[in-house]
Amino acid sequence: MKFNDVFVVDDDKIFHFIIKKLLLNNNINVTPKFFENGLLAIEGIKSKMDRGENPPDLILLDINMPILDGWQFLEEFKILKDKLAKEIIIYIVSSSDNQSDMNKANEYQDEVKDYYLKPMTAEDLRTIFSYPA
Amino acid sequence: MLQKPYAEKKLNSDNGIFYKKLVTKIPDLIFQLSLSPTGDLSSPFLNKAVINYFELSRQDLRNFDLSQRIVADDFQELLSSIQSLDKNTDFWSYEFRAILPTKGLRWFKAVANVERDVYNYISLYGRISDITEEKQRDIELKISEERFQFAMEASANGVWDVDMVTDKVFYSAQSMKMLEMDEQDIVDTHLKWDERIHPDDLEEYQTQIQLHIDNKTPYYENAKRMLTNSGEYKWILSRGKIVERDEKGNPLRIIGTDIDVTKQKENEAAVLKNLQIINEQNSRLLNFAHIVSHNLSSHTGNFKMLLDLIETEDDKETVLEIFEHLKTSSSALNQTIEHLKELVDINTHMVHKKESLDLNLYLNKVLGILSEEISNNKVKIYKQIPKNCNIAFNPSYLESILLNFTTNAIKYSHPDRTPEIYYSMKKEDGKCVLEIKDNGLGIDLEKHGRKLFGMYKTFHKNKNSRGIGLFITKNQIESMGGNIEVESKTNIGTTFKIFFSNEV
Repeated sequence: MKFNDVFVVDDDKIFHFIIKKLLLNNNINVTPKFFENGLLAIEGIKSKMDRGENPPDLILLDINMPILDGWQFLEEFKILKDKLAKEIIIYIVSSSDNQSDMNKANEYQDEVKDYYLKPMTAEDLRTIFSYPA
Repeated sequence: MLQKPYAEKKLNSDNGIFYKKLVTKIPDLIFQLSLSPTGDLSSPFLNKAVINYFELSRQDLRNFDLSQRIVADDFQELLSSIQSLDKNTDFWSYEFRAILPTKGLRWFKAVANVERDVYNYISLYGRISDITEEKQRDIELKISEERFQFAMEASANGVWDVDMVTDKVFYSAQSMKMLEMDEQDIVDTHLKWDERIHPDDLEEYQTQIQLHIDNKTPYYENAKRMLTNSGEYKWILSRGKIVERDEKGNPLRIIGTDIDVTKQKENEAAVLKNLQIINEQNSRLLNFAHIVSHNLSSHTGNFKMLLDLIETEDDKETVLEIFEHLKTSSSALNQTIEHLKELVDINTHMVHKKESLDLNLYLNKVLGILSEEISNNKVKIYKQIPKNCNIAFNPSYLESILLNFTTNAIKYSHPDRTPEIYYSMKKEDGKCVLEIKDNGLGIDLEKHGRKLFGMYKTFHKNKNSRGIGLFITKNQIESMGGNIEVESKTNIGTTFKIFFSNEV
């Protein structure tokens, strides 16, 4: 299985550009959908469900975002989770190396696969996309 | 056993022998002293007891006179006490010290009948008894009382003694002084004293007393505020113990001390206050470190990733695009650093002096600055701030805060209704509270409450939101010793309450 449908949830447009470039440079043939905050991402998942489509395979999730931040997204996601046709793999990708954020990520073990610290490297991206090769 | 009549008869017939025996065998020292008009004292008669009393040898006995044993000063006074006897007095008593070869210093008391003859000789007939032990007890008691008295005075501790049957209490002068009353011992009713206890401390005081009465505590101890005569409260620490109970265990008497611990309590409060300030500073520092690390590292992270990309990029147009992103990141970093600098300025608030500011004046100034936005958005302004309402604050902060709340209220106004902003000044717990209430979009506090005053937090789908205003505002208010509270309901409106510190 390979990640075909990817959501990137981050309010930083430069990060959107970087992800696109990194994927391209590493020959990962994916065109992610970008969302600037948690609310837009939740709405994205919901509209997929409404259309009877499968949810995304992978979500790269930032923590600090306006309107709904990463944690609030995860809370909303918990409610949706059981109604999903299949599992979504979520990675937190944040520039926060604050221990309290790391600990908080542990509270979402059922939802969050791992925690990546920005800056993201090509290596990080290859590791993520080789899963579950 | 002698028959009574016989004994009486015997006594009468042997009168002389009887008295002789009485005088010689009795363990008391019986004497006759005689003082000449020229002041010479002689002892025409001393019974045998004198040998024991003054530890005399046979040799001593031959030339004995009292001055050999009696302490010199006391002997002189003894003489003058006899000389100064009133003509009409026939009784003499005198206490004196004597130094004995083995027993050392002893106290004696002489009592005698006084007779005067025609030649102005004074004769004393009487006895001397050894009162050393009594005297020692008196002295010990006196020393112990003095020690207690001085200790109490020096430590400024008061003493009380409650008779629980009559409910009368003895209060020492120090206890009285503590409450700024006349400095003398008094006896008063218990009730009158209890009336001075601060209402908030009464219950704990009664609980502690009851616990000791019920024998659940080994002694009674309670610190409470008591009203002094000047109308101020003092912290008094009382300790006591029931010293007497009846056979049923009911307390009869309780004795204790009072200590004025107002200073300690004040110090304690000051230490707590300092601790609170330190904790606040620490948490602000931690928050600041967090902000710095997070906000700077998100930019430096972008630099790193963009530079990585540029290294391997051949396509000229893409390189130019990356450069554009680098520029954007750079100016964003600059802005973040500006904000952090502003934050540091606010938190080193020693620099910012407080001034007494007329709130109406500043509010009108801010409304003047925003007059265009107010009229463009048809905002209705309501003011309920009393005249001459002065607050201690930094002038530029006050302006910035009023500006921020007002622009926020306009920016987040509800599209379906005319925006209204209410400004009012109230007093809560003796503090001035400025309320700024709007009928705008409101904020879901359950969702966003914890982040509301955070840096770079925005909650509305508004293009102009930067998420810096409330963060800076909160920091400015706190640096002036105030605090801020918020009430809000989505689609109804938001009320911010700014609590001003009274300290200038």
